[in-house]
Amino acid sequence: MSRHSGPVVSRRALLSTAGAAGAAAALAPRMAVSQDGRILRVRSYSDLQIMDPAYRLSAPEGDIMRAIYASLAVNAPGDEWAWKSLGTTVLEQLDDVTIAFTLRDNIGFTDGFGQMTAEDVKFSLERIANPENESPYAGDWSALKEVEVKDTLSGLIHLKSAFAPLWTSTLPTASSVILSKAAVEAQGGKLGAEPVAQSGQYLLTEWTPKQRTVLTRNPDWAYEPGGFEEIHILPIEDPATAELGFEAGDLDYTWTAVSSIARLRDNPPAGGIVSEKPSLAYVWVGLNKDVPPFDNPNIRRAVQHAIDTETVVDAAYFGAASTSTGIIAPGLPGHRDAPLYGYDPDRAREILAEEGVSGLSVTLDILNQSERLTAAQVIQANLADVGISCEIKQNDSGTFWTLGSKEGDYWNKLQMTLNRFSMEPDPSWATAWFIPEQIGVWNWERFDSAEFGELHAQGMVETDPAKRDEIYKRAQDIMEESGCYVFLTHEVTGILHRDTVEVGLKPNGEPLFPDFKPV
Amino acid sequence: MSEAVSEPPAEVGTFRRTMRRLLREPLGVFGLSLVILVVGAAVFADLLASAEPSRISPRDRFLPPSADHLMGTDQLGRDLFARVLHGGRIALLVAVGSTVVSLLIGIVLGLIAGYGPRWLDNILILVFDALKSFPTVMLALALVTLFGPSLTAVVVVVILVNVPGYARIIRTQTIALKSSEYVTAAQSMGASPARILRVHVLPNVVGPIVILASMDIPVVIAIEAGMSFLGLGVRPPTPSWGAILNDGFANIRESAWIVIAGGVPIILTTLGFTFLGETLRDVFDPRLKGRG
Repeated sequence: MSRHSGPVVSRRALLSTAGAAGAAAALAPRMAVSQDGRILRVRSYSDLQIMDPAYRLSAPEGDIMRAIYASLAVNAPGDEWAWKSLGTTVLEQLDDVTIAFTLRDNIGFTDGFGQMTAEDVKFSLERIANPENESPYAGDWSALKEVEVKDTLSGLIHLKSAFAPLWTSTLPTASSVILSKAAVEAQGGKLGAEPVAQSGQYLLTEWTPKQRTVLTRNPDWAYEPGGFEEIHILPIEDPATAELGFEAGDLDYTWTAVSSIARLRDNPPAGGIVSEKPSLAYVWVGLNKDVPPFDNPNIRRAVQHAIDTETVVDAAYFGAASTSTGIIAPGLPGHRDAPLYGYDPDRAREILAEEGVSGLSVTLDILNQSERLTAAQVIQANLADVGISCEIKQNDSGTFWTLGSKEGDYWNKLQMTLNRFSMEPDPSWATAWFIPEQIGVWNWERFDSAEFGELHAQGMVETDPAKRDEIYKRAQDIMEESGCYVFLTHEVTGILHRDTVEVGLKPNGEPLFPDFKPV
Repeated sequence: MSEAVSEPPAEVGTFRRTMRRLLREPLGVFGLSLVILVVGAAVFADLLASAEPSRISPRDRFLPPSADHLMGTDQLGRDLFARVLHGGRIALLVAVGSTVVSLLIGIVLGLIAGYGPRWLDNILILVFDALKSFPTVMLALALVTLFGPSLTAVVVVVILVNVPGYARIIRTQTIALKSSEYVTAAQSMGASPARILRVHVLPNVVGPIVILASMDIPVVIAIEAGMSFLGLGVRPPTPSWGAILNDGFANIRESAWIVIAGGVPIILTTLGFTFLGETLRDVFDPRLKGRG
């Protein structure tokens, strides 16, 4: 029989050691990461997929891009919509159609792509505007005629006509991000998930898909630095999960579930500050008019009458949000007082009977979030009440945001979606996604109205607020008359952050990462 | 020929004798009571709960237990008592249905592997081991990705998870019995393989596997609840214990009653079937009594 000659670790010794180690870890002081002013941990509702401003898929990608690429302007933090220059020393409107810019000197691109020049500005803006590039954000620069390069750092942006959203929803967004012409061309004309030639206050130094993205202060950024040395962005789809993460000390900032606002306000977590911001986002049920049974406009109308939006919103947000009348929030030109087609289940049943439809079965695709699931279940019950059976399909964010894409193969099966778009403070940013050119891009309802497209174009060049109001009200009427939309809510934004962090937020609560500071 | 062909092992006792021995064991009585309670509640759900399990009433959300709502209400104002009882139907339907199907497939494949030619045995063992090597959740995710979440997906996952285990046990016992004298005698008398398996082998291998299956029922219930919790199982608004738990998880700070309503039946059912299965095993094979 052999004998153990080396050191022997007994089971009891192993257990006691492990127990002591565990106890020590549990008793060790748990410090909020932001307290030392080095690392800020924030939640975003989706992971990044594309680090190219021309093809960005979600608002969190835009948030990151504005931190890692210099842009002409960015939103200023505060309760009023305002902008500040970031990559420029001069950015001013000379007349309705001319904007002068001068870049800050000494903004460098990483990866050896040299200094940022006016030529890069020309390339970046014209690239988004060029229809051949099929950028979903071409509308942001639809009025762009050309960018004239005056010298290395300055130039003129020439517009074809006056452009109302320029200073609200174009220049301060990721559509004014400046990329390195040489870098993009070296990448074949399009950037992927890995950013190239970064130039902003931060550098994206680590990306672990579905786990975290790390931004680190750019050592070559010669101007005002970001507030934290590192920003760790954790993609957490479900806001309720993020709240738990905050309470566990894993996050310093998160949006909360709207349904949690009242509870958190009454009982904020230790060291947490809860606030509420008016949201511009819009949530709606979309019906794909190119897929049966919604190729029948009367069936679409029946669904509009069948959904009790008040109950849906009350159930999903526990009374914290109110119903919407369209895609344009109160306070913006074009906000409507009431929808055209309200909840009327009897009328829905009548329409279905007139159409000779019975035993109708449809699918509703949603993002896998508790609020969306709750809303979807009320919609399901509403539809069942008028004789329509509805199957709810839950999707993770990666799947959900490609469902209606013409590049995929699901758009011709997609029937109903419960969707939410974030919004910039100009009504054109809402209508931009529903014009005919957006069919199969972001227009998943495949709503196809030439009049709507013309109104959108008019709204972009009209600078009279009263006229813009009329234009956007009519545009939403057309959307609703098509039967493709049931407008639900603009939500509200709940913010939860540590008292050791001073948040940098847009008026609607969206984060401006470089403007977060340690207290 | 040997002077005395050994007899097949004694058959299991009659139902009455089994029950008498079962009722002598306190844990067995406790397990049986819980199983009867759970099964009875599921079968008579319509009588016991007057509320419609899917009826939504948002104004009544998060109500605590009361005379009107014995377990309170969830975030949509649905009666949790009704949802738990009707969810029990789904749990038991999946558990019993898929376990029986797994058992039948496992027995047939195990008999074939154990009694058939060596090459066929090797192939089947390879298949069993390959299936067994998949982690349950990964298998569930793969199937749901292919076919979408549904009750059928849950049943298929359970069958794929359970069949290899049953088949392997049956195979081992069949191999042991294949060389026994009474089987050899039947072969020499010209009995067909099908008859030998049906008449001489099956009755002697089926007892232990049935007990094992009864002990697997709580595992299956946990699989169903787990898949529904992850949104991979039954679709809303069908009530399911896992879906109730998920609702409770999402709203635990608003109301703890939802998690309790979803969790307690899973615990009770697991305890009931486990105690019952262990007692039955002890009754049929007293040598194993007291072994975990």
